[in-house]
Amino acid sequence: MKSAGVVLFAGFAGITTSMLLALLWAPSVSIDAFESPAAQRIFYWHVPAAWAAFIAFGALFIGSAGWLFKRSERMWRLHVAGSEAGLATGLMTVWSGCVWGAAEWGTPWDWTDVRLNTFGLLTLLAIYVVLGRNSQPDGVETRDTFAAFGLYGFVLVPLTYIATRIWTIRHPGPVVGTDDGGSINGDMGLVLLFSAVSFTVLIVGHMMASMRLTLLEQKLQRLQAKTDRVV
Amino acid sequence: MPALLSLEEVEVRRGMGVVLRDHNLTVKGGQCIALTGSNGSGKSTVLEVAAGLLPLEQGKVLHGSTPVIDHEGRRRQSPVTVGLTLQKNGVLGSEVVEDHLLLACSMAGFSVDVAPFLEAFNLKHRRKDLVAHLSQGQVRKISVLSALLPAFASNEACLVLLDEPSTGLDDDAVKVLCRWISVLRQRGHGVVLATHDERLLEQATHVHAVAKGTTEPRGVPLDEADIATPAGTARRVTPSAFGIKTHRQTMLWLNTNGMAALLTLGLLLALGEFILDLTPLQRLGFLLAPAFAAGLCGEPLVAAMREERASSWWTAVGGGVPHAGWMPLLIGAAVTAGASVGFQLPFNTLHVLVGAAVCFAVWHAVRLMQLATTRLARPHAAMVGLLTPVLILPYAVLVDWLTR
Repeated sequence: MKSAGVVLFAGFAGITTSMLLALLWAPSVSIDAFESPAAQRIFYWHVPAAWAAFIAFGALFIGSAGWLFKRSERMWRLHVAGSEAGLATGLMTVWSGCVWGAAEWGTPWDWTDVRLNTFGLLTLLAIYVVLGRNSQPDGVETRDTFAAFGLYGFVLVPLTYIATRIWTIRHPGPVVGTDDGGSINGDMGLVLLFSAVSFTVLIVGHMMASMRLTLLEQKLQRLQAKTDRVV
Repeated sequence: MPALLSLEEVEVRRGMGVVLRDHNLTVKGGQCIALTGSNGSGKSTVLEVAAGLLPLEQGKVLHGSTPVIDHEGRRRQSPVTVGLTLQKNGVLGSEVVEDHLLLACSMAGFSVDVAPFLEAFNLKHRRKDLVAHLSQGQVRKISVLSALLPAFASNEACLVLLDEPSTGLDDDAVKVLCRWISVLRQRGHGVVLATHDERLLEQATHVHAVAKGTTEPRGVPLDEADIATPAGTARRVTPSAFGIKTHRQTMLWLNTNGMAALLTLGLLLALGEFILDLTPLQRLGFLLAPAFAAGLCGEPLVAAMREERASSWWTAVGGGVPHAGWMPLLIGAAVTAGASVGFQLPFNTLHVLVGAAVCFAVWHAVRLMQLATTRLARPHAAMVGLLTPVLILPYAVLVDWLTR
């Protein structure tokens, strides 16, 4: 738990630093390029949060597959950690996206934007998996059901990724990793990279802590069952 | 004689524990196997595994020589007629007594005169009543009869699975049940029963200790006179046909899907005459909204059939869980046509057809989501509704495409 705490703290510190850099140091975008250039700074939070969410949903997928096909307790803990981290980062992304959408598009949500909606659905799936799982007693039936939802939900990840390239309606296209070098300058890229690394560290720490917590819960359940038999 | 039922190296987990490990059981025609063991030893689990209701961690279950379920999740239709009584009664409650028993027989393709059986169980005077109007003991009798009758009607060896069949039955009914089990055994059917009742245990040719996994034979005389059961053939009732009939009888659809559609339409109409000021995309979106809302409620039968495990009974015996089939097409078309009138728009056949298709697709998609939580201990608490917004995007894309 101690190592998870250190990683979590490093993530928080990194995100705090990157937010300060984003607000105070990173250059502004051209006032002609966006309706609301000031709101565009939320991009330093929104994009790394989305990146961290993909890592979390990847962990959810691996954990779900590991439980369903290998019956691995460790993989189940990864499923739990991935869904909780996916919920946290998904909400961070959706909430910041709504703020930006309200400023830039004049509406916080657009039902015709495929990427926005597929990402919203991913977050909704994480809410469903976390709340639904917590409503059930732990057992193979609960694990199989929610692991299956974890697998199905992962179909949305590549769909969300390619949505920016195929169905770009209102969402901006990719800003990095494109043939023309992307649309952000060096300093902006540096802050974005630092923020992405910080979010990655945070989400790894979150998942480490969550896996440890699930392990302790499982130990407690076994002890309670043992006590029940003695009593 | 080939075995009617074989459990081969079966491992089953329930909750946090392994209930059965490397479990084997063989049932041949003419045998009556009594499953014995203390509470929680896995007697009901063996029966449910035999019926193909539980997923396996290891091993496989065969009916005849056909594997009906294995540990990799492969499932096949049983070639053997299966009669099943679960711990719960497996009935919805809205069935008429006689109809339910004829339905149970029709699953195997037979029709039988149920009157002598109802008379023996002192239920003849209740044959036209709804199951919901009977006492607990009487419903139990119906549940037991629905497992036995297909075997009585069939000339081929059947598998009869009975879980605590004597629970709630009076002494006379238990005596009758003992006699019927003996007759079925003599006719070459295989019977597996989980019970603590000494009177039923006396009918067993073999005793299977579930905790140890051992089967011991015991001597039972074959001295029961046969019972005349003139049987004919009947058309098999599909889960869809039963679902539509139940919807028509109970009007379940009106209480959920119908009301959702009417409320949506009423709300839109209450907002005033705004529809003609909208863009074609918005107008079609609003026109189809009542049909979409009707579908979003999903299949009300799923929740209704969970109560007495009727869906499990149907899965094992009828090959699927009953559903509304084509009914959503009708409901979708009707509410879209109604919305068209309400909004004072010119009648458009294409829009009505699209409304029907939307309602049908959404209804069955939500039903699949509902069924995905069937194995959970508390399926009603799993909040399937949180997943339904996944259907909004295809709806938006469809409306956008239709108005281009």
